[in-house]
Amino acid sequence: MTSALEPFQWKVTREQISAYAEASGDRNPIHLDEEAARAAGLPGVIAHGMLGMAQLANFVVAYAGDHRRIRRLRCRFSGMVLPGDTITFTGRVAGEEGGLTTLELSAENQKGERVLTKALAEVATAG
Amino acid sequence: MSSVAGKDYPPVESRLEAEHVRAFAVAIGADPDAGVPPTYAAVYALFSTAVQLYGDPEAAVDFAHLLHSEQEFTWSRHPEVGEEVVAAGRVEEDVERRNLRFLTYATDVSSSGEPVCGSRMVNVIRG
Repeated sequence: MTSALEPFQWKVTREQISAYAEASGDRNPIHLDEEAARAAGLPGVIAHGMLGMAQLANFVVAYAGDHRRIRRLRCRFSGMVLPGDTITFTGRVAGEEGGLTTLELSAENQKGERVLTKALAEVATAG
Repeated sequence: MSSVAGKDYPPVESRLEAEHVRAFAVAIGADPDAGVPPTYAAVYALFSTAVQLYGDPEAAVDFAHLLHSEQEFTWSRHPEVGEEVVAAGRVEEDVERRNLRFLTYATDVSSSGEPVCGSRMVNVIRG
């Protein structure tokens, strides 16, 4: 059994950020309005941290098969995610203990900058 | 600024509406037929209770300078579509370091009195 997860790519679009704002209820203008984003000292609109974490969850679901096996998911939002970015998620099995498989996860953009750090999932071990 | 560490907020009830859950799944690129996506916890755990913190004059959160820095969810069980959950938030930590305010907000979510999900959010607010 290989310990590395199949990498997963996420192409970030303005449309998806808007759709996430609607669906989540987080309509902070830094995600929707260029001017408001710049006024807040950002280069432009940025993706919600939680939209990135949702992609991290999709990545773990692809490994686990069923989201109901996921017991813990955490990350630090260490870098901005902008429309047009391609984010690559990677991960590996770090350990298995007490019926839980621990996954160490990471996400970086097309420039090799890490946008999620301290990312980890615990998944109920299949069997 | 005084710290609001230890302050807790009244529980908030919400129902995981099928239509809303489905729209959320579509927005994040998850399978809309697979049930409640893990990070829908952003809605049933986080959003519903974080508005209490952000709207609290005593907490005086400067939302314009707030960054979501870290997030962790733990699940004893994932809720299903249609379920009613109760979310209760409390300020776990509120400290100032190097002119930054670190505000950690924890939320416990239960269903029919049984724990379902825990959320821990770290916000960093520039002074």
